[in-house]
Amino acid sequence: MSQITFKDVVPKAELLDSGHLACPGCGAALSMRMVLKALGEKTIVALPACCWSIIAGPYPQSSLHVPLFHTAFETGASAASGIKAALLQRGDTETTVVAWAGDGGTFDIGLQALSGAAERNEDILYVCYDNEAYMNTGIQRSSATPEGAWTTTTPAGHPESHPKKDILGILAAHRVPYAASATVAFPEDLVRKVARARATRGTRFLHLLAPCPPGWKTNDEETIDLARMAVRTRVFPLMEVEHGERWRFTVDHPGGSVEPYLRRQGRFRHLTDEQIARIQAQVDARWAMLERRVAMSPA
Amino acid sequence: MKKVIVGNHAVSWGVSLARAEVIAAYPITPQTQIVEELAEMCADGRLAARFIKVESEHSAMAACIGAAAAGARAFTATSSQGLLLMHELLHWAGLGRLPIVMADINRAVAPGWNIWTDQNDTLAQRDTGWVQLYCENNQEVLDTTVQAFRLAETVSLPVMVVLDAFFLSHTSEPVDIPEPAAVDAFLPKREAALRLDPADPRAFGALATPAVYMEMRLRQQEAFDRVHDALESIDADWGRRFGRSWGAIETYRTDDADTVLVTSGTVTSTARHVVHERRARGEKVGLLKVKMFRPFPTRRLREALAGIPRVAVLDRNISPGHGGIFAEELRSALYDVADWLRPRVDGYVVGLGGRDVTPAVIEDCLDRTRAAAASNASREDLWVGVKP
Amino acid sequence: MPDPRPITDIAHGVPPIAVTSLSTRVNKTGSWKYIRPVYRDRVAPCNQGCPVGIDIEGYMNLVREGRVDEAVDLLLRENPLPATTGRVCFHPCENACNRATFDAAVAIHAVERMLGDRALERPAPAAPRTREETVGVVGSGPAGLACAYHLARLGYAVTVHEAAREPGGVLRWGIPEYRLPKAVLAGEIDRLRAMGVEFRCGAAVGADVPFEALARHDAVFIATGVHRSRPLGVPGEHLPGVIRGLDLLRAVNAGARPRLGRRVVVIGGGNTAMDCARTAVRLGAEVTVLYRRGRAEMPAHHEEVEAALHEGVRFGFLAAPLAVLGDERVPDEEPLDAIADTFGGFEGLPARPRVTALRCTRMRLGAADASGRRRPEPIPDSAFEVPCDAVVTALGEEADLDFLPEDVARDAGVLRVGPLGRTSRTAVFAGGDVTDEPHTVAYAIGSGKRAAIGIDQYLRLLAGEAAESVEIGELRLGPAGNVSVTRWRGDDPVTRVNPANEVVGPADLNLEHFARVPRIEDRMRPPWESRHDFGEANLGLAPSDALAEAKRCFNCGVCNGCEVCLVFCPDVAISRRADGRFDIAYDYCKGCGVCAEECPRGAMAMTREGL
Repeated sequence: MSQITFKDVVPKAELLDSGHLACPGCGAALSMRMVLKALGEKTIVALPACCWSIIAGPYPQSSLHVPLFHTAFETGASAASGIKAALLQRGDTETTVVAWAGDGGTFDIGLQALSGAAERNEDILYVCYDNEAYMNTGIQRSSATPEGAWTTTTPAGHPESHPKKDILGILAAHRVPYAASATVAFPEDLVRKVARARATRGTRFLHLLAPCPPGWKTNDEETIDLARMAVRTRVFPLMEVEHGERWRFTVDHPGGSVEPYLRRQGRFRHLTDEQIARIQAQVDARWAMLERRVAMSPA
Repeated sequence: MKKVIVGNHAVSWGVSLARAEVIAAYPITPQTQIVEELAEMCADGRLAARFIKVESEHSAMAACIGAAAAGARAFTATSSQGLLLMHELLHWAGLGRLPIVMADINRAVAPGWNIWTDQNDTLAQRDTGWVQLYCENNQEVLDTTVQAFRLAETVSLPVMVVLDAFFLSHTSEPVDIPEPAAVDAFLPKREAALRLDPADPRAFGALATPAVYMEMRLRQQEAFDRVHDALESIDADWGRRFGRSWGAIETYRTDDADTVLVTSGTVTSTARHVVHERRARGEKVGLLKVKMFRPFPTRRLREALAGIPRVAVLDRNISPGHGGIFAEELRSALYDVADWLRPRVDGYVVGLGGRDVTPAVIEDCLDRTRAAAASNASREDLWVGVKP
Repeated sequence: MPDPRPITDIAHGVPPIAVTSLSTRVNKTGSWKYIRPVYRDRVAPCNQGCPVGIDIEGYMNLVREGRVDEAVDLLLRENPLPATTGRVCFHPCENACNRATFDAAVAIHAVERMLGDRALERPAPAAPRTREETVGVVGSGPAGLACAYHLARLGYAVTVHEAAREPGGVLRWGIPEYRLPKAVLAGEIDRLRAMGVEFRCGAAVGADVPFEALARHDAVFIATGVHRSRPLGVPGEHLPGVIRGLDLLRAVNAGARPRLGRRVVVIGGGNTAMDCARTAVRLGAEVTVLYRRGRAEMPAHHEEVEAALHEGVRFGFLAAPLAVLGDERVPDEEPLDAIADTFGGFEGLPARPRVTALRCTRMRLGAADASGRRRPEPIPDSAFEVPCDAVVTALGEEADLDFLPEDVARDAGVLRVGPLGRTSRTAVFAGGDVTDEPHTVAYAIGSGKRAAIGIDQYLRLLAGEAAESVEIGELRLGPAGNVSVTRWRGDDPVTRVNPANEVVGPADLNLEHFARVPRIEDRMRPPWESRHDFGEANLGLAPSDALAEAKRCFNCGVCNGCEVCLVFCPDVAISRRADGRFDIAYDYCKGCGVCAEECPRGAMAMTREGL
């Protein structure tokens, strides 16, 4: 069929209620919705400080149809490890324990706990939804903020000067059974990866790009298109890696100029042509590196 | 069964008898033998627990929090820097009302590195919402460890079992280890009323606005209020079953005393000896051991000390900028006692960083108290044994 | 999911910990929005582009869903001759198709043809006689047939008067069989008979039936078409061998296979010229088409020109006839004289004048004329001769209006009509080539439909029925489209949500949701084979391929239930109804606009209305 439809691949049951407190057009809200659909009811979510701590709803309300444990900022992976141990003790091997963290709670303050859990191959599914800054506290930079971006701590006169951490590379270095990048603009790919992660034992990691209208200074309705564009221009390639050594791309990445992707976002509006060219060169170089990873993967 | 074991292993035995289900711990001197022994017990099947070898104490407490929230009986142990690293999460366990039990080996905090005993690490956590029980000997350590689980699960508060570095942790003493079946009768499996359960999905710890937060704090406070009677009852039950009860405080020859030493931890043992000696010389001295520091046993302390003319509090700790913490809290507890019944309280800071608290040090404190009372001089807490 | 069980351990109004017992559904986050999404069915550009006025998008959607018979029904609501138009129409729908900007236009004609052929196998649509009035239709070409069909479906008794002995008009007599097989045409006309339309053939109104006799009908529709060929207007045009194109086509369509000679020149650049050229090929001739303008200016369908080229027809552009040259005898016959003595009694062929060549002048394109086309001008002293045995003229046709009374007003040689076909004479309507409609089958059918609506409106008003004056714009499919009789009847089987009569352009679509799929082209018989007979040259698509083409349709402007909106809503505010359309929970919708932005077919809009 000519139209790429998702209605037969995205599970129908809703495990997220309306009335949650996400901003209009929030990529993180849609990410949770889709991931929960793919995981099903036998799921427990450990939720460190992030936008979702608010989105979930204030006491006494919850928007999730699965148990949700709010936990301290650094402790997504460690709290999830404890929850899983408790479930295994009572003989429950079915319930998926998910750590659901933002980029701050993963790349920065939560990295130690994540590394520890990954090294121990804890049987948890760690999902990092990445809106590329500390959005919940008002758009401060994180080590997931892309180079060149404005944030409140990297203002336009002195924007972010470091490239984004290669979090998939970091997880691959831990040789976890399964790690992948995905985004809501490619629902079929996302659902497949979540289902695969769910069926895998050991530490599984998903890196989701979640556009944020207020943080990226984009219009509410652009969220899906931005994510799509990020993938297509290779800014956010969709990949998976098994045991740190078998890499593959999971969708087509036509490439092309990153300039339209950057220019449509207010957080990049200050960029000069030289800066954009530099970013293009970095995207291209990183793409070449990823291609080498894929090429060097064993069969 | 009687065994001669170090304090750390007394903890391990207590945890094993209590059938902890999830243990998450990180090594730090002088706690290491606790977890080493527990790891062996798990490995050879004596203890059917999951042992998470976490990569930091912060993660240890986080894992215990997760496990307890999911309904498991969770345990960890640490000391000093490790306890400090856990601080954020101690609050989480406390206000989160999670019945975690933790053993802390009282060890001085850095900088300079100091592995010997003092109480600053645990006392710096006194506002985190944990019950704190200070032990004097290894038998008490084992008994208290098992009781701690039952207490924690009764009132839904985390409980800290505290023992001195090296003086207890690494000192061998004879300990009567109860039979597992007997302990099972005393401490059944944990049944959490509210836990993470896909069959009953809820959010735990969601945003709590000013409209509700204060009531949740009040409920925590009320749970602490229930600890006094709960511990007494549990301790009495332990006494009936195993012949030993320890009390939230213990008084030794205080009835007719004119001067009472107030101590905690292993200093208490040394103080007993001093009291015994002084009594033999006809002095009316007594000893009050504080075991339960949180909740602070205000009522019991007032009852025990009202009418006692002089009290000398030995603090193996200091709240910088204020004073010895037991002394401060005791003075505060005694404030509302009627003037003519309120003792004079002298505070002595001793033994910081593991400096030995010998009988001579304690005697010195006693003498100073008696002399100061005579001159009615008021002074700050005295730091005993420091170089001028 | 219902709310969790309430907590029992409550003191000071709270549980011991911040544990939830309620869903966030209590937060009506819909109050946040200042703009809201709505579903708004609009018009696909193919619908507007179709001169007949068909819900093309609608039948494509049904075919895609496998509901082929419903698709046939939907098509027959507007077009009585789909097997015909699927073959002969120049498909402006495809020119308008938004998919053309993405990869290639949907082969709409092929799907229509497939549906039309299927319709021939199915019973005719119902046409119960619900009205007392009768209508007379003069002429059974596409306009007349269409008008009769729609009037029958509107409940009227219709009599079609046809001068020829068989109905069909230009469909039978003008369009060659290799484009429109007689059996197909017969099937489509039989459909009308099955619906109760009466055909009186072999009697011409005017010559055989006085016009005033039609007054027995409550209304009359004139659709006599154009039959008078324009003359060549050069010396020699009366030579035998100079044939009017319409006469050639009529003869061949009646079964004759005249011998035109070896070399034939066809003069003209329209579809009739192509029909004549390809017919002449099939009669064994080498054919040259001469046109006074260039290839780009030829009005013929480019597919017909392509087919003619493939069949070996040569084209001479920028050439116009000056004179037809003839001779008593052609040089080829001299050898016969030489042997005449050998065969006793053979007196040779009688002398008769015949065409030997066409003298032409070269032309060039000068300034534009009133129609905007550049006028061709002869280049002086550029005459040349094209040897040939016959000249076929296809220079356009004109209407014969002599049979009509004077009070039926005319304009520049055609009848003047209003938007719904009304002429200046009461109860007399007209359509098709006899009016100023472009001379194509589709426009003729479209005008017949408009007149049927016009007649229905007129008769109802006459009968005193409270008929709201209809704004013809509301009947049009899109601002510039033809009218829809379904809209007139008000019984659209397709559920429309919040319909707006606007056309969806490529910018309204979200093409990210589509994969490129190449267009499947018609199966053409090899020209070296098809040029020798009058069997159908274009075999269309296999049904499975027609289905595949229907699946390429974007369904512009009308929700087809793809669920992209539902899948991408961050607030779970869109749900599917039992009827397949969607509900938006405005209590929760925050107005982010992702749904409308992602809708592949522009069937949603953001609006401030209702807030």
